[in-house]
Amino acid sequence: MENHHVNLSIRNVSKRYANGVQALNDVSLTISNGMYGLLGPNGAGKSTLMRILATLQEPDKGSIRLGSIDVLNQKDEVRQTLGYLPQEFGVYPKAKAEDLLDYFAVLKGITNRAARKEVVESLLKQTNLWDKRRQKLGGFSGGMKQRFGVAVALLGNPKLMIVDEPTAGLDPAERVRFLNLLSELGENSVVLLSTHIVEDVSELCTRMAIINKGQILKEAEPLKAVKEMHGRIWRRVIDKSLLPAIEREHRIISTKLLGGRTVIHAYSEEHPGSGFELVEPDLEDVYFATMTGNVGNHKSEAAQ
Amino acid sequence: MKFRKIFSVEFGYQVRSTSTWIYFFVLLCSAIFFTALVSPNDGVYSNAPYFIAGIIIFGGMIWLLIAAPLAGEAAARDVYSRMHPLIYTSPISKLDYLGGRFLAALLVNALLIFAAPLGVLISFHVLGINEAGLGPFRASAYLSVYFLVSLPNAFVATALQFSFSALTRNVATSYLIGLLLALFAHLVGMSLATLFGNWDFVRLLDPVGLAGLINTEFATWTPAEKNTRLITLEGMFLWNRILWPTVGVGALLLAYTRFNFAHTVTANWWSRLRKNHFEETVEVGDRPTNRMAITVPLVERTFQSSTALFQTWMIARASFQRIATHPAGLTLVGIVAIVSAVFGDRIISQFGIPLVPTTQQVLTYLATPVANLATPWVVVPLLIMYFAGELIWQEREAKSNDIADALPVGDWALFTGKYLGLALVVFAWMTLIMACGILMQLSVGYFTIDIDLYLITLFGLQLTEYLLFAVLAITVHAIANQKYIAHMLMVLIFIFLAFPAKFNVEHPMLIFGADPGWWNTEMTGFGRTLFPWLTVKLYWIAWALLLAVVARVLWARGREEDFSYRVRYAGKQFTPATIKVLIVAIVGMISLGSFIFYNTNVLNEYATSREIGERKALYEIRYGKYRNRLQPQLTGTRLNVELYPDQHRIEIRAAYTLVNVDSVAIDTVHLGSVSGNKPYEIIFSRAAACVVTDDELTHYIYRLLKPLLPGDSLTLNFVVHHQQRGFGHVTAMPLSSESSTYFTNYDLLPNIGYLWHREIRDPDSRKKYGLPARPAIASLYDKEARKRSASTDHNSFEAIIGTSPDQVAVAPGTLKRTWKENNRMYFHFKTDVPIRGEYAIVSGHYAMKESGWKDVAIRIYHHPQHEMNIDRMMGSVRASLEYYSEQFGPYPFGHITLVEHPGNDGGMHAEASMIDFGEQFTLITPDVSPNGFDLPYYIVAHEVAHQWFGSAQLTPANVEGAGVLIEGLAVYCGMQVLKAQYGDAHVQRYVDFVHTSYELPRVLATPSLLQANETFLYYRKGGLAMHALSQYIGTKNVNVALRTLLDKHKSKMLPLPTTLDLYHELKNQTPDSLHYLLQDLFEKNTYWQLKTQQLTAAQTNNEKWDVTLKIQARKVVTDSLGADHEVPMNDWLEVGIYEDGKGAHEPLYLQKHRIRSGEQVINLTVPRKPHHGGIDPRHLMIDLKTHDNMIESGEGGK
Repeated sequence: MENHHVNLSIRNVSKRYANGVQALNDVSLTISNGMYGLLGPNGAGKSTLMRILATLQEPDKGSIRLGSIDVLNQKDEVRQTLGYLPQEFGVYPKAKAEDLLDYFAVLKGITNRAARKEVVESLLKQTNLWDKRRQKLGGFSGGMKQRFGVAVALLGNPKLMIVDEPTAGLDPAERVRFLNLLSELGENSVVLLSTHIVEDVSELCTRMAIINKGQILKEAEPLKAVKEMHGRIWRRVIDKSLLPAIEREHRIISTKLLGGRTVIHAYSEEHPGSGFELVEPDLEDVYFATMTGNVGNHKSEAAQ
Repeated sequence: MKFRKIFSVEFGYQVRSTSTWIYFFVLLCSAIFFTALVSPNDGVYSNAPYFIAGIIIFGGMIWLLIAAPLAGEAAARDVYSRMHPLIYTSPISKLDYLGGRFLAALLVNALLIFAAPLGVLISFHVLGINEAGLGPFRASAYLSVYFLVSLPNAFVATALQFSFSALTRNVATSYLIGLLLALFAHLVGMSLATLFGNWDFVRLLDPVGLAGLINTEFATWTPAEKNTRLITLEGMFLWNRILWPTVGVGALLLAYTRFNFAHTVTANWWSRLRKNHFEETVEVGDRPTNRMAITVPLVERTFQSSTALFQTWMIARASFQRIATHPAGLTLVGIVAIVSAVFGDRIISQFGIPLVPTTQQVLTYLATPVANLATPWVVVPLLIMYFAGELIWQEREAKSNDIADALPVGDWALFTGKYLGLALVVFAWMTLIMACGILMQLSVGYFTIDIDLYLITLFGLQLTEYLLFAVLAITVHAIANQKYIAHMLMVLIFIFLAFPAKFNVEHPMLIFGADPGWWNTEMTGFGRTLFPWLTVKLYWIAWALLLAVVARVLWARGREEDFSYRVRYAGKQFTPATIKVLIVAIVGMISLGSFIFYNTNVLNEYATSREIGERKALYEIRYGKYRNRLQPQLTGTRLNVELYPDQHRIEIRAAYTLVNVDSVAIDTVHLGSVSGNKPYEIIFSRAAACVVTDDELTHYIYRLLKPLLPGDSLTLNFVVHHQQRGFGHVTAMPLSSESSTYFTNYDLLPNIGYLWHREIRDPDSRKKYGLPARPAIASLYDKEARKRSASTDHNSFEAIIGTSPDQVAVAPGTLKRTWKENNRMYFHFKTDVPIRGEYAIVSGHYAMKESGWKDVAIRIYHHPQHEMNIDRMMGSVRASLEYYSEQFGPYPFGHITLVEHPGNDGGMHAEASMIDFGEQFTLITPDVSPNGFDLPYYIVAHEVAHQWFGSAQLTPANVEGAGVLIEGLAVYCGMQVLKAQYGDAHVQRYVDFVHTSYELPRVLATPSLLQANETFLYYRKGGLAMHALSQYIGTKNVNVALRTLLDKHKSKMLPLPTTLDLYHELKNQTPDSLHYLLQDLFEKNTYWQLKTQQLTAAQTNNEKWDVTLKIQARKVVTDSLGADHEVPMNDWLEVGIYEDGKGAHEPLYLQKHRIRSGEQVINLTVPRKPHHGGIDPRHLMIDLKTHDNMIESGEGGK
């Protein structure tokens, strides 16, 4: 397998559903090898974008290229380099894990019998399903099913890996293993990870984008973004009843409960006043600051 | 209340659902459509209750087929939509949940099914269909069907569909139940009825009413009853209405007890039906996870065409496995196969007598057109329809479509893989069907199994039929992309395919997957049927490719499933490969289509049945005025026939001798041909001018310049050509093929005069084509009509037939000479005595068996392999000639010829001095045991009898009852010859067989035998009546009567004989005391209802047993309106007592007793221990229930 770098370039992609929802609004992104996190709340348009990249949906306009492949018009070529783990999926309840994985391996183009056997065995072992390989998938737990989906997505060493909210069903240990695996995969391919969990991105991704209501609010490198926020995030512990008043005066980006008290983070380039203390920002602050419109703006920055 | 809420939410959901309204409108439109398309017979109002009932019942079947998902949705939608964790954990009871859902579905269905009566109502009273023929409006006509048929059916179907969907947690189960209820249940009933000769099975088992009511109950109603009678809860229908709702309640109880609000772990439907199933326990506990990173081995992936093939194969294999492991996958076909194999000897039979199950015979049962609803194999297309939906929806229903659709698999591979999977299943079914056929053969000890023929027929012809249908099913699902809408479309298409003629579509190029037909017989093989078959099938395969392209470009992949989207993006899907396939499909379709059109519509004439009817009507309209025009009589036919079997060509040079047998001069001669085959080079022996040349109707009128004076004769010479060119839209048995030639004069040669039999006889068709009404057959009391016989010709026949050197030609007459000339064989036949105007000319690779009786030469020409019954036939001919000439006078000819013709026909047909028979006749296995029935022996005797009655000597007037003089008497004669050879037991078997034909649903309000007008009366009642009479007045007296009749009417002089003459002669031989019987049998439509209620016997001494019988007797006369009138009886009836194991012909006691109406006790004494006995033990009377005539003796003592 060659190790040349491929870029995924998304240009001005828009998608509006029949019910009027504007799922994507002029989205442009450039993604190169490595892990790329797509961070956004539920309903932000992440899954739509992921499905468009996975050849399952058509945008109304825009273009997408994966290296030399025109993603929208060369679907067969995309599929040959694609690993896709959808947010929600089912399996044939009557099929056995090993048989179904073998079946998917053929559909992924692994025609050599010995190679298939090796891959299937390796993947089942590493997703911790080897002991359950002769069990029917109908009896699998959510986590087991998720791991099975991972195994399917990993078949054939994809160049473009699209994983849609993958960590939701995994226990902490599995989550770590899975993320490690993705980052390893990211050395040679484009891995696009959509999530609403900030840690997923902060731990792994070399680049990220924050998306909301179909628009890219910010595209950045997580570390750099955090660094840019230095000196701008202020913390204060308050009584819950004061919150409305403080919200009027300050640019509150997040509120949290901590031991019965409310902890607020505010965005400000200067000291916002008494009671506030400067904190070391993290990616969550970047996310919330972006979502509240304090940093990042729509296209100008995203397109850089 | 939770129940109310569940009910109202479900009801509201269903009522707001578009599909519910689609079902409603489809039902409404079908009802209107069929009301407009079908109309009741003559004499019945367009809105007669029985007709309304018929349409509503038919609507009920359509409802079952299309609206089945409704109940299934109510039961299993929660699981399908993954809502069940929310619902199942709510604090609701099973009764509230299932009950509310079920009742909502039932109510929606009950309203939905009302579309059928509504549609009929709209047709008549809003759209004004058939307004002229409407009777008074009766709400009860609609309501009785709705409440007695539709509503109970709605309950039964909803209950079954709902219960099994709930238990299997699958909406599609409901659809499968609908299919099985609609078509399969009544087929089971029909099969039982045919196998055991008891039609009550159908009445009891058909849930829909199509077979149980329309085909059985209504078939017994008279026109008057059809106009007035309503369906009522009585008899077997009552039991049906008890049985099915009970089944429905049972299903609901099963669902209630077995259903639980549990998360399903296994997908095994069976485990959910069983009570104590253990849910598979799942170990979720994982080992402590190691933190080692995952490394996926690098393996090579290839994306070549070989990969695509491999992927296709994997998809096909997976699809096959899915269907094969489905509970209905292989089992239904397997069950039909096993049942068929077990009852093989009853299925492959004729008149209840088993046939030799040759492979070709078995295949006529196994291989049927796809949409043939009258075979249990209809289960195959039904399953194809069902599983096509399952396969197309497999991923989406498992919610694995996102993963599957993003895999690097071509769209073609997806489509082809699924189709191949289905094809593999069909292949497996064909294997089962073939095994069934072989078992049917082996089980009766027949070992000559023609594997090649099996393979060609089942895996060549039949498989193609099913595979084409499967393409259609898959395509419809792919395009519609709405599972149950697609199912509904397929059901509508299937109904069209089953009855294309009802939609006035007859050309095979317009009926998907159709073909002109094929046959295979042992004499001809496949003949030339395979080429037209293949051509038309290839044309449809081209269409199938086109459909496949459409399915491919409109294939819903990914989340963009919207139809308009798929149409918009279809353009992008045209890859070079797809375009190539499209081009192949279109080029194939157009070129094959033009070729077929050239053959069916240019080389051959294409006429729809309506056009044929119109042409017949036109004949009567144009030439009916010549109906009574005097015409010369055909007295001599000389033919020079040249047969060229390898060219399928026939050339005939004919010379007719025409004589004026009337007392007035004749100046015109009418020449016409029924078949439409035109005569050429017409030359009269005296000057004649053609005044009318009508090639359309092949009718020609010549004016003789010098009229033909009484007694004068003239000769008419002409030439006839026939050559099969190309193929027609229906492949008929050809007149001439390589292996055989068989035609009658009506097929090629013209007749003289206006031809009565070209007129349309059926009153409904006459009305349809605007012809004046007239009875189908002239009244017995029509003095004018009594002057005409069916054929007036009295013909000296002579033919010289040339054929290919390896064949033998046969025609009526004595074989005068054979010779070889120009490498052709010539045969010269000549009759010594004139024959009537119907004759056949035959040529083939025959074996010939020759024998004689006195100075009559007997020859049987047969297919060399069909020799099983030849000696028996020869024996029967000789015995018949012996018996008939002794009883009825000499046989008129010096020869008699029996000749086999190709075709699956099990009967024989008699012409003067010649009898022909189909191939199946030679396969009837005679049972020659003392209590058996030698059917072939009987049939031959019957046909030889026609040489006295019907074909040669007694020529009745063509009025009511004529058939009794022909067939009734031949049945009687055949029975006498059978009796002479085998004794009473064989005759009794035949009598019992005739009685079973009364069990088929039929109208009992028939005319009397004297005025009989249908074959049932001619053959069955005529035979029974003659037999009964012979048992009362003696065979000798009956024979004297028949001989007298013959002697009086042997010459064709007027008056021609009618049933009145027969009646007169029989009466002369019958003592006055039995005249009542003669009246009951011939003059009235009388039925006896005889029953033995009790039979007790007590031994008084060593050689004496006192027997007491309690008998119930009744006699009714059924009038033409179907009303029964009881008439007092005091009849002589046989009372018989039998020992254990003795048949009807070995009585311990058999005497005639005077039996009056009502209950009575008979005491008698017998010498040995009686076992069974009763009244009319030999079934001489017309009694619809003969099985209760006798009972076994009970231990009673005095």
